[in-house]
Amino acid sequence: MSDAAAPANSPTPAGAPAADAGPRDPVTAHAARLVQAKVPGAVVEVVETGRHPFLRITAEHLVAACLVLRDDPELALDCCHLVSAVDWLGKTPADGPGSIEVVYHLVSYAKKTSAAYRRSAVKNDGFVVLRVRVPRDKPEVPSVMGVWVGADWHEREMWDLMGVKFTDRPLLRRILLPEDWPGHPLRKDWAYPVEYHGIPIIPPEGR
Amino acid sequence: MSHEPVPSVPQVLGVVAPAVPPVVDAADLARALEERSMGQALRTEELVVNMGPQHPSTHGVLRVVIKTDGEVVTALQPHIGNLHRCVEKIGESLPYYQWLPYVDRMDYLAAINNEHGACIAIERLAGIVVPERAEYIRVILAEVQRVASHIFAMGVYGLDTGAITPFLHTFRERERGLDLLDHIAGGRLLYHVIRIGGVKRDLSPEWIDECHAFLDAVEQRLPEYNTLLLDNHIFQERTCNIGVIPPALAVGWGVTGPALRASGVDWDTRRDAPYGIYDRFQFDVPIAHSGVAGVVGDCFHRHWVRFKETEQAIRIARQALRDLPPGEIQAKLPKTLKPPKGEVYVRVENPRGELAYWMVADGTDKAWRIRCRGPSFSNIGVMTDVARGALIADLVALMGSLDIVLGEVDR
Repeated sequence: MSDAAAPANSPTPAGAPAADAGPRDPVTAHAARLVQAKVPGAVVEVVETGRHPFLRITAEHLVAACLVLRDDPELALDCCHLVSAVDWLGKTPADGPGSIEVVYHLVSYAKKTSAAYRRSAVKNDGFVVLRVRVPRDKPEVPSVMGVWVGADWHEREMWDLMGVKFTDRPLLRRILLPEDWPGHPLRKDWAYPVEYHGIPIIPPEGR
Repeated sequence: MSHEPVPSVPQVLGVVAPAVPPVVDAADLARALEERSMGQALRTEELVVNMGPQHPSTHGVLRVVIKTDGEVVTALQPHIGNLHRCVEKIGESLPYYQWLPYVDRMDYLAAINNEHGACIAIERLAGIVVPERAEYIRVILAEVQRVASHIFAMGVYGLDTGAITPFLHTFRERERGLDLLDHIAGGRLLYHVIRIGGVKRDLSPEWIDECHAFLDAVEQRLPEYNTLLLDNHIFQERTCNIGVIPPALAVGWGVTGPALRASGVDWDTRRDAPYGIYDRFQFDVPIAHSGVAGVVGDCFHRHWVRFKETEQAIRIARQALRDLPPGEIQAKLPKTLKPPKGEVYVRVENPRGELAYWMVADGTDKAWRIRCRGPSFSNIGVMTDVARGALIADLVALMGSLDIVLGEVDR
């Protein structure tokens, strides 16, 4: 069930979960209704059924939507479990240059005993999944560090390895790789450098 | 006293020491100091100190830059990445079967638990059903590993806080646990024994007897460890009320595992979002309460939770050994595993916290994207907030109590 304002590229990319049949996830359904009511225009797509329910949010409304989800007494999503990103290069021909998807797995430690959580926990572990699609050539997503402080390091890691630029936050520096490492290695078009400070690098294909 | 011109230390280092007139009494000394300071008051400044990357208390190659005002830490920034081995990138370039040994190397003190989570994730992607006996063997191995990891953490924490004896005691029992896993897997730390669709080797009756003996031995020794640490006044002085993590801060940073439960948050993935067959076992989840010593969320309680959890891990392992059914240990698998398009998010309770795998399959034999959430990665981040205002000596106690493994932080 997509929102009426969904842009042309809203169908799920190849590899992403399709909206298969199955029972509705009550937590995701509640989260979708809440964000649709409080932040108009934020929700692009909702998948409530199947094994991987999620909400697709526009980048500009992300922080507002996250605040709503965190502060709702029913959901109380107090923890950003993981910020990840996936490069869909070559998987979405309709997108032109391709897209990068930033995925947030949110979870509540405060509400684990609620009945809705119990029902949801069976198949989805009680996670609410937000997905934000950004173009590959301008992957800018506002930071949710102000909503969940723990997102800080995860965002830095996704900048380091995937090159997603998180805006409105301090210290967006590399976290795992050296400061002068060329490029972002988890991009699908990243090429192995020939050498790094005089150390020859042999790509796995050449070994 | 010899009058030969012996070069003083500053001269050796190439710095010319200022000539100080020889002093004879206190008044002269005061005047000499007054002359040297040229009437200025003593100057104070913040000092930036590098701790690590080879500091013994950092449990690996972790560099922590601390800004100090005397003995007090005013700011702290961990610098990680020294042990980065591209587990996620390797996962995208190798078939699922071949990627599995690499997850052992993330948290090298709990390799079985890493494998358990990775196998569950791949099995959910591919729709593989694991035989009953294999599920029980997985739980037995995972809990033996948890016991080994926790008693190791307890002993090493003693080392961090200045006690060498408990380290030697816990190492004795831990080695026995590692020997058990060695017999089943052929390696001391890195096993690759839990495979997609089952386990590599079956448990023999002798192994089961030895496992019971190990669990009994640890259970018997736990009070002994406590006389050395938990009940030890010096240990309590070093850890009580130190490095307090309030529950809201812990949850916000994504702190998980014993550190989260030590902050009073009632959560254990094995009980609250069970994976594998953990919903079949009876066990308690120890939560820190104020009746022990210190305050909830301090270093003492993190150690206390680990001790209590060891008891529960022994309980789970015994139940699994008791209920171990006969049968197959490996599901039939194709030569090339090609899970259908889809994705999966699996979290498992590691000794150090919640390890999570996010896998995206595109229908080929390699994953399109694998993302691992190492619990230590989030646990270490909370230090930047908690260490502010702590003494440098307490920093070591705080770092040790979080029980980080750098292999998992850097992945």
